[in-house]
Amino acid sequence: MSQATIALLGQPNSGKSTLFNALTGLRQHVGNWPGKTVEKKEGSFSYKGMECAVADLPGSYSLTANSDEEIITRDFIASGKADVVCILADSSQLERSLFMTADYAGITVPSFLVLNMADVAKDQGKTIDVAAIEKKLGIPVLLFSATEGKKYEPYYEIMERAVREKTVLDTSSIEEEYKKIEGYEELKALIPDDLVRGFSSTWLAVKALENDKLVMNQLKEKLDPVVYKNVCAICEKSSGAIATGSAKFKWIDEVLDGAVTAKNTQVSLSKLDKIFMSRTWGKPAVVLTVLLGLILSFIPALPLMLVGNGVLALKGPVLGLLASAGCPEIVLDAIGTVIFQSFSYIFKMLGFVFGVTLVFGLLEEVGVMARISYVFDNTMGKLGLQGKSVMPFLVSFGCTMGGAAGSRVIDNWGQKVLTIALAWAVPCGAAWSVIPMLSAVFFGPGAVLVIVAILFTMILHMYITAKIFGRKLVKTGDRYGMIMELPPYHKPKWGALLRYVFARTADTFKRVSSVVILVCGIFWILSYSFTPGSSPILYTIGQAIEPVTRVFGLGWQLFIAFVASSVGKEGAIGVISALFTGESFSGAFNAAMSGAARAANLSEILLANVSKPEALAFIFALTFNMPCVVALAATYQETSSVKWTARIALYYTATALLLSMIVYHIGLLIW
Amino acid sequence: MRELIELLRDGHARTTKLLAIELKTSEEDVKRQIEYLTNIGVIKKVDMSCGCGGSCGSSGGSGGSCAGSSGSGSCNSCSSCLPDGGFKNMGEMYEVV
Repeated sequence: MSQATIALLGQPNSGKSTLFNALTGLRQHVGNWPGKTVEKKEGSFSYKGMECAVADLPGSYSLTANSDEEIITRDFIASGKADVVCILADSSQLERSLFMTADYAGITVPSFLVLNMADVAKDQGKTIDVAAIEKKLGIPVLLFSATEGKKYEPYYEIMERAVREKTVLDTSSIEEEYKKIEGYEELKALIPDDLVRGFSSTWLAVKALENDKLVMNQLKEKLDPVVYKNVCAICEKSSGAIATGSAKFKWIDEVLDGAVTAKNTQVSLSKLDKIFMSRTWGKPAVVLTVLLGLILSFIPALPLMLVGNGVLALKGPVLGLLASAGCPEIVLDAIGTVIFQSFSYIFKMLGFVFGVTLVFGLLEEVGVMARISYVFDNTMGKLGLQGKSVMPFLVSFGCTMGGAAGSRVIDNWGQKVLTIALAWAVPCGAAWSVIPMLSAVFFGPGAVLVIVAILFTMILHMYITAKIFGRKLVKTGDRYGMIMELPPYHKPKWGALLRYVFARTADTFKRVSSVVILVCGIFWILSYSFTPGSSPILYTIGQAIEPVTRVFGLGWQLFIAFVASSVGKEGAIGVISALFTGESFSGAFNAAMSGAARAANLSEILLANVSKPEALAFIFALTFNMPCVVALAATYQETSSVKWTARIALYYTATALLLSMIVYHIGLLIW
Repeated sequence: MRELIELLRDGHARTTKLLAIELKTSEEDVKRQIEYLTNIGVIKKVDMSCGCGGSCGSSGGSGGSCAGSSGSGSCNSCSSCLPDGGFKNMGEMYEVV
C-alpha cells in the first residue's frame, strides 16, 4: 500500500477546514503545534489503496514569517514531511486569493492548486478556464466546491496525479517579474540553489528582499560573512516588499489574463454617494444632514419631556401628604426643590440625550456617518487630525463623555488628546436643552440666529484650539490620506439601535442624577436663610465678586450659574431661576431646577432682570464652558494626563469668559 | 502599490472606488493592494471597537474600560456611551503607518 502526506495550504476563509473535514471525516485529531497556541489538525483517509495523511496547516495570508501561523506553515513545508502541498484559493476572488500561490512559487515541494468555492464564482457570473491556468502554472489545477461532499472524485484524482508526477510550480514567468526589481538578480546569484531544503534561491532572494527575519537568519548562518554583507547591502537599497508584492500581483494578473471572464463591473458611485463624495457638494450636504439630524432629534425628546412634567405634577400631592404627616418645613422645602424639581429637569434633559443618540445612531446604522467622516477627513487634516476624529465630535453632540470614549479610535496619543480637547467645543445634549430655551426667552424668533452663531463659533473655536494645542500635541510631517471602504447604505437594525439608545439614556440618567442633585442641594443650602433676617451666604459672596464678573458681561447671579454649569450644564437654569426670583432666597430656590417647566415664570423673571447683551454673553459662556465634571473625568481617563486634563479645563473656562466678554460688547453695540 | 501610496501623499481621504478610478484599475485590485500593504505593515486598519475589542456592551466583556463609567470601569458599561462593539457601520478605514 502506497502512502502520501498532503498539506493543506491557504489563506483564512479559503475553505481549508471544510476540505479537511470532508477528506478525513472522523479520522482526525486536533491538538496544538509544539510550543505554540496555534491549533494543529491532522487526519487521514485512503483512496484506491493509497493511505493519505492530511495536515491542515494554519491559515495565513502569506509565507512571510510575520506570525506564528506563517512560521509553522513554512517549517512544516521545509521539514519535508509533506509529499505534496494542496494550495487552496477562493475562485470568487482569484485576484486576491492567488497571492498564496504566488508566494509559494519557488518552493520545490510538489503542489497542486484547488480553486475552491466554484459555486460562488459561478453565481457571480465568472467562468474560469482551468486548463489555461494549469498550463501557465505547470501544476494540476481543479475548480472545486469543498462544500459539495458527494463530488470529491475529481479532487482525489488530481491529488493522486500531483503525488505521482511530483508537479512543481513553474516559476519562469514570475521570475521575469522579479527580474525587474532592482538588485534581485544580483541577490539571487549570491544564494546557492540548495542552501535551504525545499526552498529555491528565487524564493530565498525574494524573501530576503522582503526582509523576512527567518530567511535573513538562515542566510547569515549558511553564507560566507562577506557574501551575507553583500546580501544585506542589496536588500537595503531595494524597494523591498512593495516591489515583490507588485511583481506577484502582476504575475497573478498574467495567469488570470484570458483564463477568467467576469461580468464587466464598471466602477461607479451611487447617486447619493455622488453628492456626498463631491468636492463641491459633499460638505454642504453633510452639514445639512447634521443640522437636520439635530432638529429631528427634538421629536423623540418629547415623550421624556412629558414624563418630566409628570414628575413635577406629583410634587404638590406628595408634599401635601408629607406635611399632613407632620414633616418639618425645611425637609419639605428640600424634598420639593432638590428631589422633585431636579428629577423633573433630569427627565426633560434625558429627552434630548435620547433624541440626539437615536438620530446619530441611526445615521451610523444606515451608513451616513462613514460618509461624514470621509467628507471631513481633509478638514480634520487641516486641524492636524485624521478623518476618524469626526466620530467623537459627532458623538459629543449627544454627550462629551461619549465623545471622549469615542476618541479611542485614534491611536496616536497627541491626536487623541487634541480630539478630546476639540470635542469639548461641541455643545452637548445638555447644552442643547438649555440654549434653545434661553435664546427663545430673550430673542424670540431671533433664537435661530443665536443657534447659527453658536455653531459658527464652535467651528472657529475648534480651529483656534487646534492651532493652540496642536503645536504641542501633533507633530507636523507628511500626512497621508486615509483609505476608506465605505459600507453600503442599508436598513437600520432597529432592535440593536434602540437597545443602545435606551442603555445610553439609562446610564446618563444614573450619572446625571447624582450631579444634578448634588449641585441643586449645594445651591439650595447656600441660598437658604437659616436665620430669619440674615442674607444667605450666596448673596454675600455674589455681591463681593460682582465687580469682577461684570468685566465678562455677567451679573453675579449669572456668573454663579456659569460656575454651576461647570459641574453640569443642566444645573444652570435652576440656579438662575433661584437667584433672580424677587422673593426671599429660600423661597426662590424652591423655583430652582425646575427648568422648562417653569419657563413661563422664568421668562418674566429673566426679562425683567437681565439685558439682552448680558443674556447673549451668558448663553455663550454657558455653551463653551467646560462640559461637566463627568466629561472632565472621562478626559482624564482617556488621556491619562492630569496636566492635559487641567490644561483643557482651564483653557475652556478662560475662553468661555473671554467669549462672554466679546459677545457682551458686541451686544452693547447692537442693543 | 507605490502609485497608491503616492496618491495618498496629498493628504486627501479616498474610498476604494475612488482609488480604483484614479489608479485606472479595478476595486478588487485596490482591495488586494490594501490587504497586502496591511500585511506588510505599511498601512493599518483602524480599530473601530474603541479599544473594546468588539465585545463592548456584551455581558462579561472585558476588553476595555469605559470612560466615565462608574465602578470598576468594565466594558459592560460601554454600551451606554458608544454603540455595542464601537462603530460597526463605518466601513473599513486604513491609514498609512
